[in-house]
Amino acid sequence: MIPSGFPLTRRQQLKSAAVGFGGLAFAALSHQQAAADTGMPLQHHAVQAKRVIFMFMKGGPSQVDTFDYKPQLQKDHGKPLPFEKPRIQFAPTNNLLGSPWRFRPRGESGIPVSELFPHVAECIDDICLLNSCHGTNAAHGGAALKLHTGSDNFVRPSVGAWVSYGLGTENQNLPSFVTICPTLAHGGLNNWGSAFLPAQHQGIPLGVASQPATAANVRYISNDQYSTATQRSQLDLLRQFNAGSEQQLPQESDLEARIRTWELAFRMQSEMPRLQDLSSESESIHKSYGLDEEITADFGRQCLMARRFAEAGVRFIQVTHSDTKVQWDQHGDLRNGHTKNAKEVDKPIAGLLKDLKQRGLLEDTLVVWGGEFGRTPTAQGTSDGRDHNPEGFTMWMAGGGVRGGQRYGATDVYGYYAEQNPMHIHDVHATLLHLMGLNHEQLTYRHAGRDFRLTDVAGKVHPGVFS
Amino acid sequence: MSLLRISPLACSSLLLLISPASAFCFGSADENSEARTKSAELWNAQVAPLLQEHCWSCHGEETQESDLRLDTVAGIARGGKAGPPVIPGKPSESLLLLTVKHADPTLKMPPEDKLSEEQITVLENWIAGGAQHPDGAIVISEPAPHFDIKEAREWWSFRPLQDPSAVLADDGSGIDQILNGLLQERGMTRNPVADKVTLLRRAHYSLTGIPPTPAELQAFLDDESPDALQTVIDRLLESQQYGERWGRHWLDVARYADSNGLDENIAHGNAWRYRNYVIQSFQHDRPFHQFLTEQLAGDLLVSSETEEKRKAELLIATGFLSLGPKVLAEGDERKLLLDIIDEQMDTIGRSMLGLTIGCARCHDHKFDPISQADYYAMSGIFQSTRTMESLARIAKWHENPIDTAQDRTAREQHQAKLDALQQTIDQTVKTASEKAGSQEPLADDKLPADVQETLKTLRQQHTELTDQLPQLPTAMGVAEADITPSRLLARGNHLAPGRVIPRSIPVVFDASRSFEVPEDRSGRLALARWITGNTNPLTPRVIVNRVWRWHFGRGIVSTTDNFGKLGEKPVSPELLDWLAVRFVQSGWSLKALHRLIMTSETWQSSAADHPRNEELDPENQYFWRWDLRRMEAEIIRDSILAVTGSLDATMGTSLLHVDNRKFLFDHTSKDTTNYDSQLRSVYLPVIRNNIYDAMALFDCTDGAVPNGNRGSSTVASQALFMMNSQLIINASRKHAELLLQQELSDQQRVELLIRRTLSRPARANEVQQLLSAIPQLEQQFQQESPVTEDSVLSAWTVLCQTLLMSNEFLYVR
Repeated sequence: MIPSGFPLTRRQQLKSAAVGFGGLAFAALSHQQAAADTGMPLQHHAVQAKRVIFMFMKGGPSQVDTFDYKPQLQKDHGKPLPFEKPRIQFAPTNNLLGSPWRFRPRGESGIPVSELFPHVAECIDDICLLNSCHGTNAAHGGAALKLHTGSDNFVRPSVGAWVSYGLGTENQNLPSFVTICPTLAHGGLNNWGSAFLPAQHQGIPLGVASQPATAANVRYISNDQYSTATQRSQLDLLRQFNAGSEQQLPQESDLEARIRTWELAFRMQSEMPRLQDLSSESESIHKSYGLDEEITADFGRQCLMARRFAEAGVRFIQVTHSDTKVQWDQHGDLRNGHTKNAKEVDKPIAGLLKDLKQRGLLEDTLVVWGGEFGRTPTAQGTSDGRDHNPEGFTMWMAGGGVRGGQRYGATDVYGYYAEQNPMHIHDVHATLLHLMGLNHEQLTYRHAGRDFRLTDVAGKVHPGVFS
Repeated sequence: MSLLRISPLACSSLLLLISPASAFCFGSADENSEARTKSAELWNAQVAPLLQEHCWSCHGEETQESDLRLDTVAGIARGGKAGPPVIPGKPSESLLLLTVKHADPTLKMPPEDKLSEEQITVLENWIAGGAQHPDGAIVISEPAPHFDIKEAREWWSFRPLQDPSAVLADDGSGIDQILNGLLQERGMTRNPVADKVTLLRRAHYSLTGIPPTPAELQAFLDDESPDALQTVIDRLLESQQYGERWGRHWLDVARYADSNGLDENIAHGNAWRYRNYVIQSFQHDRPFHQFLTEQLAGDLLVSSETEEKRKAELLIATGFLSLGPKVLAEGDERKLLLDIIDEQMDTIGRSMLGLTIGCARCHDHKFDPISQADYYAMSGIFQSTRTMESLARIAKWHENPIDTAQDRTAREQHQAKLDALQQTIDQTVKTASEKAGSQEPLADDKLPADVQETLKTLRQQHTELTDQLPQLPTAMGVAEADITPSRLLARGNHLAPGRVIPRSIPVVFDASRSFEVPEDRSGRLALARWITGNTNPLTPRVIVNRVWRWHFGRGIVSTTDNFGKLGEKPVSPELLDWLAVRFVQSGWSLKALHRLIMTSETWQSSAADHPRNEELDPENQYFWRWDLRRMEAEIIRDSILAVTGSLDATMGTSLLHVDNRKFLFDHTSKDTTNYDSQLRSVYLPVIRNNIYDAMALFDCTDGAVPNGNRGSSTVASQALFMMNSQLIINASRKHAELLLQQELSDQQRVELLIRRTLSRPARANEVQQLLSAIPQLEQQFQQESPVTEDSVLSAWTVLCQTLLMSNEFLYVR
């Protein structure tokens, strides 16, 4: 039996994999193992999340202007930072820069949210803010790789590939990991690649960041020269021909698998366009994702596609907010830049969260939001810009297994360094895997003589995030 | 605790070869004692007073800051928290000198008043002379490694090569004898030798990656001599295609790429020179030990006698060390440099030695006998090597000039043309200005209209010529740098440097510490000589195993890049050593190795099923049959181009669409890569982070880490590519046109199609099968809307494509 029906690998690769085609069965197994090893009660690790939607905000949104309210920063605006700046900075910065945006308490939890995100603020009781994230690289490329793969100086499998490897796919006709409009810079396909994991776990990209979401398609998904009927005839002829020459070839599972991939590809050719066609969605859904407004239409489309992929059983779905610049990278022009960026994503994100919740999908879908780093609370240039800051920034999670309506961890009074319950990127990964029912220390793959993990030799699960 | 005594004088490597077991070595007795005496005198006269004045107050009898005492022999030998301050005979690796020169920002001594140059020279001379002390020799004790050296050397891959030749034939049948023994013990038998048609395609696939043409097939079938296959092998080994096929294998191991990838994806505009060097090295069967030496230290093989072309080749070869992915925007320059060196060492370890040396960066290797000190001993060699031109963000790698007289002449001639043109322009202006009554040259717009017109043309020509001025060629590669002492970094943290580790190779390979690095050299050449020398059994074992893997799809050691504890053991150590010994005896000739392997019945055995063998050895570990395998990515594309008559068989240069050091992918996420070429795949740019999908889909390497054992996946996106990509459809159409142009019946066309695509004669039933599909396809195309212009061509295109999609085409048996 092959639960992860999408692709097949050779026996040899199976052998090197710790789990092979274990698929969902492996998740159950790893629970028991994890429970035995860590002494955690099994029910604590009971998996609610079955899939991940990761919303990547390229460029590094500023935490102190969005989800990490710092009253002291507002008070000390213009004063010098009273403690040392990091040893390695991307660029020099000046004095403290208070946020140009107001914060007010939202939801029953009363968590302060910036006016940049009025719609997401309506969902704050479902959201767990991770205010104490920190990374190790102050440049976009290294930080993006770290966030996506856990490593900034080696090519390693991406988070989505690890999740696919650990859990397989729920859908026979679709890949287990798709990434919509990803960026080609700063890591490129390594950010959704499978590195040494078997190839079927790599993310399948739909379009790239320089294209509008309406043009986002899987490569080679269609043939503009043959009709479907002709292609059907071709595959029939191929099957006959293969059957004829089969007598000459040894019986190999690989050959049979190859024969099945043609049919799978053929089905995928009709399945993908069906999922990407949003015309069957109601007008109110279109509106709630902001598809009816120009500024929100593009990211709204990505989010709505993500929900449809989630429903169809895709395991890991990434959407990317990036234009042909570095989107959230406001070294200058912070007021205009962040206003525009937030406007583009705020309504679509809220639309997605509400839609998932209304359909009962939020319970078993883990939604993750964040950029490769945050920004400095100190000003850069003309006091309307902030530099990269990997020392302390905010990501957030919502849905499957996450306790919403809380701020987990904290930065210092100005929002520069992660201070309380610091969550390194490795910890974010460990926690994410845990929410998926995977123990980050046991999700390993033997390669080049040793067992590799997403979290390398680090990573700590933060149970405070869990519901 | 083992003792390491460092000789005050370098000793000749010849002496070492003769007596490798000796722990100590001496130069001539006279020279030696003279230097020692001088050094001891120096202590009394100058060193002791100097230390007394500047150092002993903190590092003397009363106080010993950082546990360091510099007034006694024992104190100097033991050293302080940062390790021994002095390594006799090696000033460049003595911490004392490093600190008094204030060369290390973390440790400057004396902290306030830096010693004068004269004072530093005193210390330098004293250490160079052997750091003699009137109370006796300074003997540096080296902490014992975390393993037992003798025991560690018993590991199978570290033991000397054993030649079991006495009982064996000295040709390919020696392989069969060894494996037959193993098969018999297990109650198995080898498959019989495959038929000629199969063997020909297999030989082509193995050696050139281009399938045999119908004519080559016919010639081989007609050749009934017993040497027919031998003849084919010889012919293929002489071809350029052989260099391209096997060069590509090495490029996998050399993690070759035309862009940096990682964080900043910048063009390796000159990497192709290394790629072509590799291809030519294979084609001309450059002795493999020489090939490796050139890649590690080609620059150090250049002498004043070396002719320019050869010099360029030697410099290009060192590109091997520079090709790795680098975190070019890393803000911490020291970390960047150490990361680059780590990548180099990891690559050398895996590609040449089958060892994961990189594992010992932060701690002693957990499984293999490589200590952290070993790591930093080797690291010192690369810290003393220049790989980078600048470490400032965005960092730049070093390139060596490789221009020849021809290049310079071409540039000079071009420059002369430019100068002449400039003169013409100046003269025209001058003449026209004088005519207009001005002594000074006038601006163009002040001159008559016809002169303006002439000048416009001339100036345009000048701009064009300037743009075309040939650049003198450079190549990625390394050079010697200032000797930098390597310090052991606690947990790999560059902010926590510890004792200085003299440059060396891992102690497990050199228990007597006979590896010598000249004081003023990085030690790369010595390292290369050791890696390819006869005291190291790993290198020949690793390469013959690689060659076996590239022929059979699985190595004798299945973990081709790891011969350590976590690797697999060889299924037949005898076979591995038998091959390795012969390989070394042949002068490290890869072509001789191919002949040896391919003339064995093992290589020639059929891929047929065998129920009993399958039960006993389902994985075919003992090579009882040929394993059916899917072609590799490059070979799929090359074969498609070849059989459809679309291949351009010439050698490529650079197909990059951007200049050297320019961004291939920047923040715009715009993909401007272009793979629209008919050249063989080895010449297509390898863009890290964005590998061409025709390659990536079929498991080519990512070009980021050495990989001698590609995977082979079977995924639906491959099917989409084969069904829908322009590459396949265009090639199929070209093939269809080619078939339709021939004056043949449809049946003959189908027969030819099968011969060309599958390199075998057609069978009657399949010809009928394909023939009968044509009318239906034609009809479908006629009904399609909009109606296809040429339904016959379209139908044949589908037919040609279908054969390219067949298992028989995609797999080699």
